[in-house]
Amino acid sequence: MRARRRLAARPDRRRTAAPASLDGILTLVQKHHPCADTALIRRAHDEAAVWHEGQMRRSGDPVLTHCLAVATIVADVGMPPPVICAALLHDVGDTACPPGWLGDHFGQEIAGLVSAVRAAEFGALPPGLTRELAGPACRPTDEEAVWVIRLADRLHNMRTIEFVAPAKQHRKARDTLDILEPLARAAGWSDISRELRDLSTAVLQPASTAIVTTRLLAVLTVLLPGPTRGRWREEWHAELATLRARRARTRFAFRLLLSAPRLSWTLRRPADRDRRW
Amino acid sequence: MTLQTQLVLRALLEEPAKQRYGLELCELAGLPSGTIYPILARLEQVGWVDSTWEDPAVHEEAGRPRRRFYRITKDGAEQARDALARAYRARKQPLPGWAARPVSDGGVS
Repeated sequence: MRARRRLAARPDRRRTAAPASLDGILTLVQKHHPCADTALIRRAHDEAAVWHEGQMRRSGDPVLTHCLAVATIVADVGMPPPVICAALLHDVGDTACPPGWLGDHFGQEIAGLVSAVRAAEFGALPPGLTRELAGPACRPTDEEAVWVIRLADRLHNMRTIEFVAPAKQHRKARDTLDILEPLARAAGWSDISRELRDLSTAVLQPASTAIVTTRLLAVLTVLLPGPTRGRWREEWHAELATLRARRARTRFAFRLLLSAPRLSWTLRRPADRDRRW
Repeated sequence: MTLQTQLVLRALLEEPAKQRYGLELCELAGLPSGTIYPILARLEQVGWVDSTWEDPAVHEEAGRPRRRFYRITKDGAEQARDALARAYRARKQPLPGWAARPVSDGGVS
């Protein structure tokens, strides 16, 4: 029963069950861009396989699986072939590949995208970047393309976060939840944003605390004013993680249940700073 | 001021510079866990207490979710001491209209 609960609390892993493949990417390209020439994508895949040969990720999988997974996400949101090629090649800078090689073999557009992906930091959402961008007429700007590849890169890294050191897991999950997930949601990619949120939450609020208590806390926060809910939910989860005994956690949640209406009233009442206590 | 608020203020004033998380304050104040948050929220609203998230380096190293830490502000500490003193004096005074109970001379030996 407990094992089943733990499984239930984990985010959906079905996406990771089927490994990304070149055929999968080409199918997605055919779907979004029926007239596109796929030869460049095949070549990018073959070159990525050569440069990453022998390199392994912390999970024990070849690095090429990461490149394929990122390119699959990018293809799935309807990006055109050059962006998919850049996604396949986005990590060749970590190999023995000489700096000018990419530009010589794939052109300046793809080489520029790859170097921009490596240098980019997540800031504001590029204007005009929305889910509606996808389709046969999809012509993203360089800024948009770089943003999508970075997002896909983070999504796959989050899917395999369990193999990373705990401190780094927390840092990445926090960054994802605070910055990326809201941006993905604002851009209209609800599937990606939901998955990012589930994966990050699983790291920050592990399911070791009883799932019933966790759900109760989520329900309790509904009573509170919208902007404050996230803060209290996170604070209470951290407190729950301090309590080892199941009984103590249940007691904590029960007392929160009793005090939540009062907290809600307090937060909604205007503060009277001049009041004499 | 309620007795619970007084207990929370006393707990915060024990070491005013120290940051404490909710459950720690519950323990110090001797209050049941989970009941302290409306009081802390109120004190934060009026500026007697401020709260911050735990330093990422600390909770990441410990591999647990970040805690919310509370600390009494300088202004809050002064006002809290005054308020506690007033509450103490009020407890000592008889209610209006009630005479203080005379101290008996003899008493049961």
